[in-house]
Amino acid sequence: MFRKILIANRGEIAVRIIRACRDLRISAVAVFSEADAAALHVRLADEAYSIGPASSTQSYLNIESIMAAAERSGAEAIHPGYGFLAENAEFARAVEEAGLIFIGPPPEAMEVMGSKTSARRAAIEAGVPVVPGTTEPLRDYEEARETAIRFGYPVMLKAAAGGGGKGMRQVESEAELRSAFDAAKSEAASAFGSSDVYLEKVVDRPRHIEIQIFADMQGNFVHLGERECSIQRRHQKVIEECPSPVNEPYLRERMGEAAIKIARAVDYVGAGTVEFLFSDTSREFYFLEMNTRLQVEHPVTELVTGIDLVREQINVAAGTSLSFRQEKVRWRGHAIECRVYAEDPESNFFPSPGRITFLRVPSGPGIRDDSGVVEGAEVSIYYDPMISKLAAWGRTRAAAIDRMRRALDEYAIGGIKTTLSFFREIVRDEEFIAARLDTGFISRFNQRRKERPLERPHPAGGSQAASLHQDIATIAAALSYVRSQSRRSTNHVPHEESKWKMAGRVAGLNRTALKRSSEHP
Amino acid sequence: MKLRASIGDHQTDIQILDQASLLNADIDGRRYELKVLELDGRGYLFISDGRVFDCRVEGQLESGRTIDVIVGTEPYAIAITDPKRLRGSKAVDTRTIEAAHLVAPMPGKVVRILVEVGEQIDAGSGIMVVEAMKMQNEMKSPKAGVVAALNVQVGATVNRGEVLAVVE
Repeated sequence: MFRKILIANRGEIAVRIIRACRDLRISAVAVFSEADAAALHVRLADEAYSIGPASSTQSYLNIESIMAAAERSGAEAIHPGYGFLAENAEFARAVEEAGLIFIGPPPEAMEVMGSKTSARRAAIEAGVPVVPGTTEPLRDYEEARETAIRFGYPVMLKAAAGGGGKGMRQVESEAELRSAFDAAKSEAASAFGSSDVYLEKVVDRPRHIEIQIFADMQGNFVHLGERECSIQRRHQKVIEECPSPVNEPYLRERMGEAAIKIARAVDYVGAGTVEFLFSDTSREFYFLEMNTRLQVEHPVTELVTGIDLVREQINVAAGTSLSFRQEKVRWRGHAIECRVYAEDPESNFFPSPGRITFLRVPSGPGIRDDSGVVEGAEVSIYYDPMISKLAAWGRTRAAAIDRMRRALDEYAIGGIKTTLSFFREIVRDEEFIAARLDTGFISRFNQRRKERPLERPHPAGGSQAASLHQDIATIAAALSYVRSQSRRSTNHVPHEESKWKMAGRVAGLNRTALKRSSEHP
Repeated sequence: MKLRASIGDHQTDIQILDQASLLNADIDGRRYELKVLELDGRGYLFISDGRVFDCRVEGQLESGRTIDVIVGTEPYAIAITDPKRLRGSKAVDTRTIEAAHLVAPMPGKVVRILVEVGEQIDAGSGIMVVEAMKMQNEMKSPKAGVVAALNVQVGATVNRGEVLAVVE
């Protein structure tokens, strides 16, 4: 087993990996940019090395400077987390060439799956169905236009090197194609360094279901079931569940087998996720892509299977075989995760960076919060605005929703806008409770919200309670004003204040002081 | 103390008597008596007739300025105006934001400009694309009109609140 692991990441995932290192008595090495010098992942680490300025291209994406930190620390392995360099084959090779172990799949597997077009080819060869689309990047706008006509609108433009919804645009008609094509290319270029985009037909009311797979160096392949990730906005997942409310053992088995076929085809090692689109109407599924890393939403699988995926990743990278066999995997209960973003749901999910002035994290039965921040932390403009992942487990989906609702109401983050308020409404939404999920859920939810403004989540009572709460809020605001004024006037005496009032106040203060000293002699 | 509170378009008069651990308030004739505990200077715990109200107050309190008060999980944006401080400053209304100004809602970088000065545009049409937190966001015109000014160039870093363009 390793003695020391360097974590080439930041935020909640760096914290998550440090925790797994602690469990295994492995020393954890953090790296940080100038913007993260006081970040939680640095504070929790045994060692930490600065790797450059705030901009991620100069720090968390800077292979040279991360390798220098690895050498200085004497780490034997590097865990890339997700995002940044996690799916960068060049980085994986650099790690191997330096004589260290990359905690992830072989670079060759990453390369095949890293390009969505070659991943599609690999899936077709493995006999797994794919969504109709191009297998090569589009040469130019004209080719995009012709292909779109061939498949019929709506179509989806996607960055070949993409992920996380960046460089991705759904196009409803030819009128939108030009600007969507340019935007997708430019976003792809700035996010992934490659402006290659390709085109896919849009599947009607699709569910986004993914299969967690795991492989070791001894050639064992297993799957840990599915995650439902249909609730997305801007093609980014916001709520994930395990199992999918579809929850059919037969379907899980078929999708699991398909996922393993794809993983085998590229000699996969470690944790990976095979994403599928599932059509609710036809009950068919199509390969979408494979993520050759740990997923953001891995906690829901951990809660339901009881298997620690990061611990397993480290074990497998150290050459140990998987600690469980396929027949031993059991799915118990239901888990839901909400991704808490520093974004303003009231203004189109615009990023809301800033200082976290107040933080109260929920806990209690069935609740898990994977966070990368503490009170006082600065949510910077340089990185992804996700600040934590709140997960709830229950024996049934309904029980998990109950716990999630309770935890969301308990969660309080001050100083910045977050998506917490949005989730509080979703867990009360009838369609969500009834599990009518597909990737169009959020836009329909927003429409419902506009038409029939949801009742504000109250502990009790209808509009009467609303006006009561409004009065209480008004009182709190007025009291703050009154107290800030009196604090100000005790600091520097305003001229309009009468001498009598001042004398009275001083006397009052003396009285309290006297009272205090008599209480505590 | 007599104050005026506005929540959105709704205005109320509030009279408040602060007696440290006890508070009396009158809002448009509705009377409240609350037990008060100040929470670390960032909020209050009120108990009224046994009911608990956990309140957080965010933002700098000044007469006429909007602050956020969160009661439990519900946020309220409230501006308190002090009639005594209104003398001579009649323009306290913070809501007079020029609808024709396109303002950067957060710091970012201009990656593309989609219109030219003098161009006729519709409400909601894209004016420029600003990248922040790795996402590109199209800044849309708040109204139909003519692009009167473009204050930034491609590649420029903009700050929150900066006027990016003017539509007349």
